[in-house]
Amino acid sequence: MEIAYYPGCSLHASSRLYDVQTKTVLSKVGIELSEIEDWNCCGATSAGKQDDFLAIALPARNLGIADATGLSEIMIPCSSCYSRTLVSQKTLERDPKLKAEINTELAKKVEGKIKVSNILEVLLSKKNEIAEKAVKKLAGLKPACYYGCLLTRFPSDVPVSDNVENPVAMEGILKTIGAEPLDWGYKTDCCGASASVNDADTALVLMSKIFKDALARGANCFVTTCPMCQLNLDAYQDEVRGKYGIAKGLPVYFITELIGVSMGMDAEQMQIDRHFTEAVGLLKELKLL
Amino acid sequence: MSNSTLVYSVETSNPFLEEVMERSGQNLRSCYQCRRCAAGCPVGDEAVVTPDRLIRMILLGEKEESLKNLLSWKCVACYTCGTRCPNNIQTARINEALKQMAKEAHIEPVIPKVASFHSAFMKSVAHFGRSNELEFMGLYELENFKQGGVNAVMDDLKSTSKLGLSMLKKKRMHFTLDKTKGRSEIKRLYKKSAEKRGSKE
Repeated sequence: MEIAYYPGCSLHASSRLYDVQTKTVLSKVGIELSEIEDWNCCGATSAGKQDDFLAIALPARNLGIADATGLSEIMIPCSSCYSRTLVSQKTLERDPKLKAEINTELAKKVEGKIKVSNILEVLLSKKNEIAEKAVKKLAGLKPACYYGCLLTRFPSDVPVSDNVENPVAMEGILKTIGAEPLDWGYKTDCCGASASVNDADTALVLMSKIFKDALARGANCFVTTCPMCQLNLDAYQDEVRGKYGIAKGLPVYFITELIGVSMGMDAEQMQIDRHFTEAVGLLKELKLL
Repeated sequence: MSNSTLVYSVETSNPFLEEVMERSGQNLRSCYQCRRCAAGCPVGDEAVVTPDRLIRMILLGEKEESLKNLLSWKCVACYTCGTRCPNNIQTARINEALKQMAKEAHIEPVIPKVASFHSAFMKSVAHFGRSNELEFMGLYELENFKQGGVNAVMDDLKSTSKLGLSMLKKKRMHFTLDKTKGRSEIKRLYKKSAEKRGSKE
């Protein structure tokens, strides 16, 4: 089964490991990802804050390219890219005038027919196949599943793929491969996103709350699907722990590498050594690697 | 009835409120101060002003206070306030509109680094169609320099260089330049956006 694929800038750069994991794992369950040609940046949060027109128009160019593939579905693993693209598609559906205005500038016009999916929707559709391929059960892995903001909350009215306040897709998938996800209170709280660079105090306090709750519930790792959330919780962990006196650190996994490990893949294939906070050790300790 | 304050008319409303409503696409008049937004706002403690207070400020026509409020700059655009609002008011959108209006009115950004960051990001996308960390960081420091001179840059580099080094160590820095070939289309979209903003002002 072929699905169109928009990696976005993160998966081509600082989170390349996520791109590798996603392609590898999905191909094992029969999904061929076809990267759309010559895509551009979605504009991320910056376009939303600076320029209302570009916030819709930049993802629109990608939607036009995606529609032209003739495929019925496009998967976008990054939460921010997913959110911006879905919002653009639904805004243009409601505003034919804006759609016509943007389409005059585009070589490939937005038709609006392709289904925009996040990675959890695609993984859920292959839940049985994932369970079948899971040669190792992730016993002892107690993740706090961290969804962050943009998978379920949007700046305007769009269809939401999971429960807004208590999404459960990640837990569902991880349970089928034997992990023991925990109930916790901060799964959709904000990590601070780009504030980690431009307003560090704000980002650190937000992350400290996420860490404290996950640890109080007995989590031994985080699992996420958002490259921004992953980078923040992973790269700023030492700083958060130092400032707020948090004794224990936690590896921050992408859901894809854990599925990969359950399928018998090793740390190198999944590039698990590219985490800021040591992430191979726990999997070895649990005899999963 | 016509004398009642409960009857709304554009003529008697304050022009600042009307502009915020138009630009943010949010109906601020439907706020009945239930404060669910305040309860959910992750930066409410830091920002002093919570979304409900900001909305009230705008309704009262406090233009200067609103354009200089800290919440708009602390807002992480998590959209919690909007998803919990019984009247569907998305304060993150109000914050975006206020920051744009403050910029047009030549009011200094309350947190200069936030302004530098997003402005540099949009420039970086205009150059290559995609965001490349190293080029972006260069543009960001250039914006910091414009805002606060050498001190602002040195201050920022203390934390960003640390991140850069760990990225290098963990093979998460990339050195090639990712580009979109169809950059002429992207340039046209930027131009159109500038024209639209020009016609609004």
